This record gives sequence, structure tokens and C-alpha cells, in this order.
Amino acid sequence: MELSESVQRGLQSLADPSSFDQSSFQVLVDVSFRSLLSSHGDPAVLDQPELKQIDQILLKQCHTAATTFILEAVKLNADKSTISIGRRPPQINDVSWRLQYHMKNGQVDKVNEPFYSISLKSENEGSSEDINFTCTMEQLQDLVGKLKDAAKSVEKASQM
Amino acid sequence: MLLVLSEDHKEHLAFLPKVDPAVVREFGRIALEFIRRGASPKIYEGAARKLGVPVEMVQHGVEGLMFLMTESSKHMISEVDFLDSVLVLGFGEELNQILLQLYLQHHSQIRSILSQLPSNLPAYHSLEWRLDVQLASRSVREQVIPMLTMHLLLTKGSDSSSKILQTDPSTLLHLISTLEAALAAMKTSHARRILRNIK
Repeated sequence: MELSESVQRGLQSLADPSSFDQSSFQVLVDVSFRSLLSSHGDPAVLDQPELKQIDQILLKQCHTAATTFILEAVKLNADKSTISIGRRPPQINDVSWRLQYHMKNGQVDKVNEPFYSISLKSENEGSSEDINFTCTMEQLQDLVGKLKDAAKSVEKASQM
Repeated sequence: MLLVLSEDHKEHLAFLPKVDPAVVREFGRIALEFIRRGASPKIYEGAARKLGVPVEMVQHGVEGLMFLMTESSKHMISEVDFLDSVLVLGFGEELNQILLQLYLQHHSQIRSILSQLPSNLPAYHSLEWRLDVQLASRSVREQVIPMLTMHLLLTKGSDSSSKILQTDPSTLLHLISTLEAALAAMKTSHARRILRNIK
């Protein structure tokens, strides 16, 4: 979903806690939906007590941005994953492994090498995603070494 | 193990005894170059003109040599087996020796080229990591949430893919202990016995 610069800026200002606190944020969101749902444009829609403290120009910009955003999302029939403004990388929750012995393949006979098949189970916003790869013993040692370094740095950081 | 050469293959190679041994050596060099870099039809035309034979004959001769070399390298056949396999072609002693030398000098190189043919599983390349601590968010202040961000690089044939992943410290410790158990599996007597006996 693509949003124009002014819409993005308006939404960013809306997210700024120094301009909008919890209650005024809630009120603005309600007001934006109400503007879209009512059959007449109401010039007094922004005259809410919670919104009086906010700079009126900023208020109008945010209101416009919010209503544009809502319309855009509805137009595209956007679902939760399209709307997510803050995305996170997939979170790993488990790993499974297999040790196998590669004997031969279609191109080469007598390979005779052991290898690991690793599967990282991860979750990305509700849906699970598996990342599979193969590696040799040396590569697995390298991977485990790096993970242990990371764990050591977590421990050091927690002692500060 | 002996190579079994098909009738077509034998026919293609039948061209070789009709030319000078030096020419056979040259064809051998061309065949290896083609295995390394891919075939180039112009070379066939040039050679055919010089020898005064049809292009197809040269092409079949070189391709026959390529196939002989790749099949022998694929199965890692011994010197004795190689000589026995080419015996069936009815070449002279000198020609057999030329072919044998060609095989012995280049079989490990050919094997490594063959093993680079695309595999269908992505393979580990490297992992980079970063430790971040989330201190606050819009909804909650004064947090201390450590997050480990990882950049995993995988290769599949000549393409590489990269994945960004995150995990928390307790999952990290779980990953480490599971993968250390995986490493330990190679050292069990069961694994050692299999690795020792299948050669």
C-alpha cells in the first residue's frame, strides 16, 4: 500500500506522543471514522474537548492523513499484514536437524560425505515460516560458535 | 567397476585411431576445455577443415571423449578398470595410454566440476548477528527487551538469498543446545561406524 508524503507525515505526527496523548489519539481516530461514515460533512467534527490543546493546523493535517489512510485501506480491501506500519522480521522459535550421509547423486558417484539438514522454525506475524538449509560439520561449528558469541554478549550486557 | 560403452559411443570414438596420436591429444585437450567452459562449435569446424573430414566426425569424436572422461570420473574407476573398459574399443596400446593419462591427470578436476552442478537445497553460507535492546515503545515505557537480530546468508547453486531473523535470549540458548546435540551426533559410535564402513 503506498501513501503520499503528506499522508505519511500526518500519520507520523499522529503517532508522536508529544502532540497526541492516549485520549486525544483515540478521539481523533474516532472522529476520522465518523467523518467518513456520516452523510454530511460536519465542520464542527474537530471541535472535541480533548483536541482543543493541539495546534489546529497540525490537527487538520492529521485528520486528513488519517481519513485518506482509512479510505486507501478500504479501497484496497487491505488485510492486517498490508496495514502493518511497523513490521518485524520473523521470530525464530525452534530448530530441528538431521544428520545425513551423502553417498551419491545424479552427477557424481561415491561422494561419501556426511552433512546436516537444518530447519529453523520461525513465525512472522501469526504465520509460521520454515527456513531450511544444509551445511557441513565445519559450517555448523561456525554457526554454533557465532550463536555462542551472541549469547556471551547478551550475558555481558545484562550485567551492566 | 567397468564402464559399459554404448554402440553409438563406440562408433563415435572409432574416429580416433584413424588420426595421428598428436591429434588425439589435441582432441583430449579440447574435450577438457569444453567440460570446463562449454562447447564451442567453431573449433569443430576449424579442426574438420584441417583434417579434411566432416564436421560431425570431429564433433562426435570430441563428445565421445568428453563422455568417456565424465563417466569415468563420476564413478572414480581405477586405472585397471579404465584400461579394461577401453580395451573393448580395440585401440592400439599407445592410444590407450593417451586416454589413460588424460583420465588420471584430470579426473579430480572433472569431479569437482560435476559436483558443482546445481543442487536443489539451499546451503549455509554465513551468519551475522546484532544485539539490540528495546528501551521503550509508544505504548510502554521503561522496557528492557533484548533482541538478537541475525542475517543468514544461504547459497543455492550460483544464487544467494539472505534472510533477516530475530530471536530472544532464551530461544537463543535453546538453539545453541539443540545444535550442539546435533554436532555431538557425528561423534557417536553409530555414526563413526557408518562413516568408516561406507567408502
